[in-house]
Parts: sequence; C-alpha cells; structure tokens
Amino acid sequence: MTRQTSQPIGRGSATERDPNTAEKFKFWIRPGQMVNPFDIIAAEHFPAEGSGKSSYTFGLVTNIQHITDAAGHLANFISNDFGEEVDAAPQTPRQGANVAEAAVLSNSADIYMPVQNESRVYFADEDKIHLALGIDGIPQERRVPAGLIQMSNGTQAVAYLDRDFVLGPEAGHVNISGISGLATKTSYAMFLIQSLLQKDPKDEIAVILLNVKYDDLLRIHEPRALSQEEHKQWQQLGLKPDPWPSDRVHYLLPCGKHTQTTGRPNSFADPPPPHKVYAYALRETASKLDLLFSDIPDPGGTLGSVIGEIMSGIGGNEAAWRAVQTWDDLLTRPPLVQQGIPQRFHNIHPSSIGRFLRLLRRVVKTRQSGIFVSQLSNRMTTIEQEIGDIRSGHTYVVDIARLAPEEQTLVFGDVLRTVYGLYSGEALPFDDYEPPRKVIIFVDELNKYAPARGHGEPSPILEQVLDIAERGRSFGIILFAAQQFLSAVHDRVTGNSATKVLGRTDSAEINAGNYRFLDQDIRSHLTRLDKGELILSHPIYRQPVKIRFPRPPFRQGRAQK
Amino acid sequence: MPNPFQPLQSALRALVENAQVLPATGQAVVDMVTPDLEEIYDQRTTGEATVQTVWETDARSRYRSIQPIHRSEEHGFRYFIDGSARTYFIGTVLEQDRSTPVQVSQVGAAMVRREDDGRICLADSRRTILLTLEKSQVSESLWQALEQALAGVADYTLCDSATNNRYAEAMQLQESRPRGAHRANWHMRELETELAQSLSRTHKEWLVVDGSLGNEFETWRGAPIIGVAKTFRRDSRFELGTGPRARKLNLFGLLKDLQENQRTLVFPRNNEGKIVFWYVRLRPQKGLDYPLMGVVKVEMPNPDREPVDSQLVDRISGWLLAERSVTPYGRDGRWHAHLYPIYIAEQVIRSRFYSEEVLKSGIRWPFQVATRGMDT
Repeated sequence: MTRQTSQPIGRGSATERDPNTAEKFKFWIRPGQMVNPFDIIAAEHFPAEGSGKSSYTFGLVTNIQHITDAAGHLANFISNDFGEEVDAAPQTPRQGANVAEAAVLSNSADIYMPVQNESRVYFADEDKIHLALGIDGIPQERRVPAGLIQMSNGTQAVAYLDRDFVLGPEAGHVNISGISGLATKTSYAMFLIQSLLQKDPKDEIAVILLNVKYDDLLRIHEPRALSQEEHKQWQQLGLKPDPWPSDRVHYLLPCGKHTQTTGRPNSFADPPPPHKVYAYALRETASKLDLLFSDIPDPGGTLGSVIGEIMSGIGGNEAAWRAVQTWDDLLTRPPLVQQGIPQRFHNIHPSSIGRFLRLLRRVVKTRQSGIFVSQLSNRMTTIEQEIGDIRSGHTYVVDIARLAPEEQTLVFGDVLRTVYGLYSGEALPFDDYEPPRKVIIFVDELNKYAPARGHGEPSPILEQVLDIAERGRSFGIILFAAQQFLSAVHDRVTGNSATKVLGRTDSAEINAGNYRFLDQDIRSHLTRLDKGELILSHPIYRQPVKIRFPRPPFRQGRAQK
Repeated sequence: MPNPFQPLQSALRALVENAQVLPATGQAVVDMVTPDLEEIYDQRTTGEATVQTVWETDARSRYRSIQPIHRSEEHGFRYFIDGSARTYFIGTVLEQDRSTPVQVSQVGAAMVRREDDGRICLADSRRTILLTLEKSQVSESLWQALEQALAGVADYTLCDSATNNRYAEAMQLQESRPRGAHRANWHMRELETELAQSLSRTHKEWLVVDGSLGNEFETWRGAPIIGVAKTFRRDSRFELGTGPRARKLNLFGLLKDLQENQRTLVFPRNNEGKIVFWYVRLRPQKGLDYPLMGVVKVEMPNPDREPVDSQLVDRISGWLLAERSVTPYGRDGRWHAHLYPIYIAEQVIRSRFYSEEVLKSGIRWPFQVATRGMDT
C-alpha cells in the first residue's frame, strides 16, 4: 500500500519578508514535481538531543504559489513583444518556482523550532503520515478506519479515528456537512458506522438510522455489485465490503392512510423490506405531544400549558381524561370541547384551547400522512416499544421519508427521548434488560430539528437534541448528524461534535464563523472537493485531512434503480 | 551560521597592530563606481572613435532587416556569462605620513547554460573576496603580515589597488578609493574571462558575455563568443563611403533610423577588424524614451581580420532578436537592452553575495588592540 520515496521534492525556504514559523513553513518544489494541497510532507530538521539522526517536521500542504521574477504583469506583457506575441514560447522561460505552504502537524522529536531554510523536504510515507497526524498514538484496538489519504505521489494511508473520541468517553458525535446531490454525506455516515461495527469485537453498539430521503436506507441488507477497484479500497481499509446482515436489521416503516386495508406501509420502498409498521395513537403519544408542536411559536407559553395539562391528565389517567381515548375524542369531547365549543380548562382561556385544537387538528387530521391512528392494531407497533428494546449489534432503520414535517419531528424526538430514557431512567427491579453500551443515532437534515440560534424558537425537539449532544456521550448515546450547511445547525450541537466531516461546500457558506477551525486555504478547497472526497477533522489530528472512501456495499434504494 | 568574514579578522588584526586605523563611520560603506561605467570602459578600451570602413561581405545597405530566430528553429546561444562586484570601504590605515583606504570587495562571475527546452541551469561560477589596499602606501612588513594572514585562506585575496587595474588606468584615476572599486571590477572581468576560457564547448554552442569584449579576445580562436553591451560609447562616428555620396554620421544619427528587427552594418574596432561590432535594435522606438534605448552593441572576435560573413551576422542578430522575450522589465532600468539569461546569471552571482547586514556585522576592527597600540 505504501510507496516510500527517498527523493527530496524540494527544500525549505525562509525569507526576510516571509519567514518560517513554528506553525507554518514554506518550501520550493523541484521542477516537474507534482504536489497538491492536503499532501503530507516531511522536512528534515534538527536531531533530537543526544541523537545524531535528523528529526522530521511534518506538514500539511495548504496552498501552492507560483512565483516569478516578473516585477508586475506589465513585465510579462512587455516580454511578449508588447503584447503582440501570444503563441510562441519565450526564448528563455521566466525564472519561476512553485512554492508550497505547509501547516506544521508535528515533529518526530517534539522539536518545534521553525523548519530551516534549505531543509530537504520529502513526501511522507504511510508510517510518517500516521506519525504526523498522531495516529501512531492510537492503540490498535481503538483504531477505526475512516477513509484513505491519497497523496500526489501515489502514497496511500488509512486515516484511523480513535474509537474513544468517536463513541466516548473522551469525545463523541460526528457531524457531516456538504451540499446535497453528491450522495456523499449519507454514504460516508454509513461507511463510518459499518467501520465502527466491524471494528467492534465486543458487539456492544446498536445503531438507529433515520431514513429521510426516498428509500436510501431501506435496502442496507441487500448487496450491491462492487467493482474491482471498490473491492480493493475496502481491502486497503481492512474492512469487509458486506451489506448489513439481514438478521440484524430491523426496518420500522410508518403507517399510511391505506395501510390498514392494503397492508402497505407509507414508504418509498417498493416492495418494502421485511418490516414492522409503526403508528401513533393518542394514548401512546400523549407523553410526546409537545414534540408535535416544536415548530409553533409559543412566546406566552399557553400552548405549552395546554400540552402539559393533557400530558399529565392522560399520562396520569385522571378521571376527566378517561373518556378521551382517541385523537377524535381529544378534538371533540370534554374536557376541552363541549358541543363543538372550546372550554376553559384549569384557568386556560378557551381561546388558547381553541388555538391548540386548531393546530392539533391540522397535524393529526388535515395534513396527516396516516401515522396517527385511533387505536393501534396488533400489526402495529410504536417507536417507543421497538427502540425501547434495542439490542447491541442490531441496526434499526426508522423510515420518515414520506411523513409531514411535524410527524418527522415527532418520530425523531420519540427516538431520542426513548433512547435517552433507556439510560437516564430508573431500571425496573424485575427487568434484566441491558441497553447497549453504545447507541449511534444517524439523522440527516439535522438543521430541521436543531436550527442555528436566531433561526428558530427554542423547542422541545431542540432541547432533546441538545440533551443528546451535551450529555448523550456520557451515557453512550452518539449522534451522527448530517446537514447541508454547518452554519444552519445550532452551535451547541456542532460544538459538541468532536469529529467533523466536510464535503463540497458553497463558497458563501465557507465564510461563516462555523468554519473558523479551518485554515483559510483549506476552506477554499471545500468548494472544489469531488464526489467521494471529504475533509476530516478529528481531535487526534493536528490538522484536517482530505480522505476518500469506498462506495457502500449495499443497495442504496432509488439510486440503484 | 559562523561569521563568513572570520578569515579577514587576522588580517585586520595585523593592520591595527602595525598601523593606526581610522574605521569607516557607521561600519562598512558601499563604494560606488562611476555612473555609466560600461560606457566609459568601452570608450577608453576600444581605441579610435571614428570608424571609416565596413567589415562584412555584403555591405550594400546601412541597415539589414532580420527575422528573430527562435531556439526551436536554431538554438545558437547556449551559454551566458555575467559578473558582479560590490566594494565596501571599511577604514583608512595610517602608517607614518602615508595612508591608504582599506576596502573589502565581493566579486563573482557566473555562467549559465540554456537547455533545449529553454530552462536555465548553472554551468560554472567563481567568487572571491578581495581585501584591497594601496601597496605603495604601506610598509613592506605590514604588507607581508597581511599576506601571511590571508595565506592559504580559500576565496580571499589580498589586492593592490594600483597594480593590474586596467579600468582605473584607462580612466586615469588618481584617488585611491575609486581605484579600489575599479580594481574589483577589473577582477570581475578577469573572472568572467577565466570562466569563458575554461569552458569546453562545441562550435555550435555560442557563448554570450555581458558587455564589451576586452582586447584579450582579439586573438580568440576558441568556440564562438560574442559580447553584448547594453550601454556603449556614444562618441563613435561613422565616415562611410567616399565621394559625393559619402556619409558622416554620429552614433545618434546611425541609430535613430535603425528600426525594430534591423541591424547595422558590421564595423571594425579601432579600424583593425580584430574585433568587429554592429548594433541590433531589439525593441521598437515607439515604446521607449530615446533612440539609443532598445539597441545593443554586439562585438565578436575576428582574429583573421577577414570581412565577416553577412549571413552569419544575420543569424547571430536573429538569435539576439529572439532574446527579447523575456525581459526583466521593472527589475532593471536597462531592461530594454538586457538579455534575460544574462540577467539570470547576474542574479545567480548576486544571490551568492553576503548581504550588507552580514558584511557590516562580520567585519569588525579589533578596537581594543588599536587603543592599546596608540596609548603606547
């Protein structure tokens, strides 16, 4: 895999006006040598104390400049016969050099003196790349392949993440950003989850995937034909290109308006994979009613008061609520409604009750996709029931692709609340159920649920996401989230995400403050990333690196049709 | 980095121990040579200003039109030489009632080669540091002490500003300090000549030397060489032809009608023809300030003194015209007549000189010794 090269590619260059520092250095590149941003290079440096051998300062190439001795563009114009000559090569090409700028990653002997002028610079081989990034310090059993680093000279190295910094306890959560349409964010999340699962010998991870687009994640147990090159990449990463084992994937598809008669769930998957249908009846939903109104402004808190009364009334099986068994009951019967007229309830003004009922009717009646049912049948299940029984080594795919936005929020919130409850709730004395040590929850379009400050009111779903982002790691609940724009997500969520992955990004977006952790030059490269290329920032790495990863070994639903 | 001028310290110590020293105010001071130096050298070393004959096989027209010949068609010029000298005054030595300036010069010459693809690489170079005094103004014992201090030190040379100084002699300079600077220039010229003569090359590989060719090339029979001067004597006069159609022109008159892509007739230096010269206009007058700009003077050894083949001169001039791409415009005031490979050779040698900061810090008089000497 590694191609070692002992040929120097250039030499350190420090000038009066452009000195090398402990953080950055420059080197000129030998003519004919190809170097690209994100290449990792090694510059010879002072030997360690008591050692006769040179140490190496490793750098990540962030930019490359071409300089010439032309004093200005006018000099080049005049050199071409005052602009008349546009074809012929110059008699003597102008003196010029390619000069690369590198951000210091580390030094093999912990020497952080600036790289000296004339120091020989080489491409780093795989061992040196690992040394440069700090991967050498990750114990073998904690190494999780996260992609391939490919350098201009053909050298390849596996980028490993430290499991303890992805799944805790040291750090946790993964956030993936990038414009849509390149099928990269979801594919990468799935690749990384597969990598974590395959490098989990103790089988202590459970995975919950929310399918938000078409049937993208509803075929993950079905194999896809891989090319030889793709096989090779999986092999290089030390991973098996296998789909999810079908006995370990559980698909939860939503109930639709016609599911009760046709048996078909409300899903893009056609035919649907082996699955269970989930739905929401009032009695099973009462404790999550607040999630249904996450997007509704409630500055006075009256809506919250009504919801609180209902949640405690139904949850506590209070006398006034015993007759309220279905959504229709809630909308048309006492205690909230009498003869079609909203009633005052526990000092809540009838007009507030009326507003609540209008909003609820719109969600569970007018706009509903079929997920809200009067009563659960035997063929139906609930998210709480399924997720409340998750097992290590198993993956649960919750399809929300065809749901209305309020319904999606309810389901996602339900998943988070259920998982959180598994760990934070009190264990029942008669129950010997052991929740998995780690639960990974993957959701795309996180900005819907945890929008950036100023883009939405504080809401129950946001609080739920913040709970997971800030405290989930200590329980072993890990959020794998994706969105188009990092800046659109709440900074307490992105700030708690230790591993950040960036795909191709809009040029306007990269100037947002959320990208300040990247060097300006690296930021500019975000606009040029190809499909399958990502920038990976991990707490162990001293600088973000560019990686490639193989395409998934499972069918990606509609994309494969 | 160790002090590169450390080898000089023992010589300076010899000076302060054997004579009184008045250091230069504010450490070393650059000693400039006369402005328009090349022009004056050309004037003083190339003999007669008046040219009375033409020295080529086809002399029908005063100007001949030339087409640029790119290296892809015929790659004539392969090697280029340039030199540089920088002189610093570091003090005055007093002995009895005699005195002499003490100067340190960095002198070098570089030769570059142009490959088929146009890339330039270094072919060879020379570099010397001169410690210059006027030998006649110091005692024999002091001079011997200096010789002893620098004996066996590579790249350092003790130099008498009064001897082997053709430039100063040509200019009839009497003052010591300018003589020292010109001595360094002459040494540079010697290094250039040494480089030119040391290189083994074929007869297809032409060498271009920056500036006028010295008289030492009058008998040159080696591989082909030309000198290309950016600035040259302006007192030249041309008395061409005889009879009623004879024309007398000064240099301005000759060059004002020289158009882009043209050369003049070939003329003999000093009316002898051992070295011949002609002018080529590299750049159009329209883009320049006055007629002499954009013109180079080309000199070529002609030891047989036969009229030069006009076709050959056309080819050489065509190669030269192709050299106008690229130009060091903005980097050098003489860009309009500068050949870029020559400019590179100059940069090569200058980049090897120690900076003024290094020189000022590295050369220090051992004062305490001097004070003790004066007290006693």
